Amino acid sequence: MARIVAAMAMTHGPGLTGWFDRAPREYQNLTLQATAEMRRRLHAARPDVLVVFSNDHLLNWPINNMPDFTVGIGQEHVGPADWFDEWLAMKDKYRIPGHPALARYIVNESARRGLAFSYLRQMQFDDGFSVPMHYLNPEGAIALVPVGMNCTVPPIPTPGRVYQVGTVLRDMLRAYGGHERIAVLGTGGLSHEPGGPRYFWVDEEFDLWFLDLLKKGDHQALLRECTLEKMEAAGSGGTAELNAWILTMAFTRGPADVLAYMPAIEWRTGTGMVAWNEMAD
Amino acid sequence: MGNVERCDKTLPTNEMIYHVRRSAELRARWNDDLEGIAREFGLSTAEYEALRDKDVRRLNEMGVHQYYIPQILRLFFGAGANSNASAALECYKRAFPEETTRALAAQAAFAERSSRVERPASGLDASATR
Repeated sequence: MARIVAAMAMTHGPGLTGWFDRAPREYQNLTLQATAEMRRRLHAARPDVLVVFSNDHLLNWPINNMPDFTVGIGQEHVGPADWFDEWLAMKDKYRIPGHPALARYIVNESARRGLAFSYLRQMQFDDGFSVPMHYLNPEGAIALVPVGMNCTVPPIPTPGRVYQVGTVLRDMLRAYGGHERIAVLGTGGLSHEPGGPRYFWVDEEFDLWFLDLLKKGDHQALLRECTLEKMEAAGSGGTAELNAWILTMAFTRGPADVLAYMPAIEWRTGTGMVAWNEMAD
Repeated sequence: MGNVERCDKTLPTNEMIYHVRRSAELRARWNDDLEGIAREFGLSTAEYEALRDKDVRRLNEMGVHQYYIPQILRLFFGAGANSNASAALECYKRAFPEETTRALAAQAAFAERSSRVERPASGLDASATR
């Protein structure tokens, strides 16, 4: 049976690669230190595959047909999409092997368990996957199964819903017939309002409150307190990317280590990195 | 709920931007033939004029998905030298002066605080950025 061997989450703001040096030096240093620590933990966990959850920024599906979850089932994942290469300062495409067997298992087994997951053989990649892969899997040495989420087109799923989906995925992945060691990663957040009236704003108070809930490690308390309405108030259409973190949290138990936080308005998002120490039973 | 609820999922502009971002041919036509592209996707005159005028506030109010608005500005101005001193910022200052002024004041305060706690860049792994 497969094993979940690591769970982490980080911001994927395009400024983290596209205009990294526009933020204060302290933020740059914190980001490099925190992502180095994430890579160290990943290396120690020896994963065969990374299952990554991220908002799809209206790239893979038109707005008239946006699924809540989409699995990339291709043999290989190539990014970033042409529209994003200059934006992310990634002139050269990266190529990361996929894990089609596991990806197709997720699509089909989730259907048997009552979840509707769409899929794409050739997923396109924006900052949501490209930025974390740049920092955590820069050589493409770990196979990738990308899972796109809808965190921005109403109706946005609630934190309670995505946590519940996370528990189903957790049970599914552990029941997978292979011997893969699987790391899970949630990307997005923290507070930001991409393109809205508060495009250049971050809500430091909300971010620190949310990270404190993760540090306390009481998942049910977090789900009670961190409602979709609170996320929207902290930055509409962007902060709800934290749903990817909450889904990832369902693979874990107890507190997360907060590796870094920066109210990085220069990067247009509250920026943070966390890692959990214990996986759920 | 927040501003994203303004989104009109049936607005032709929202369908158009999805396709423009994925098509090099449409992107190449953007600055020379916006009117033609708008006609092909069935935009109303009001939608076309708000696009032509780069009017962030009108685009937001008519239901363009907020995420697409900076993407539209990128089609006009390009992605190079993206920063908070960008052309996009100037458009947002005009559209939402109060919110943008408040954000820039916060940015300055955070930067001031950051400069007071500047730490040496010890233990960094420069290979993280390729």
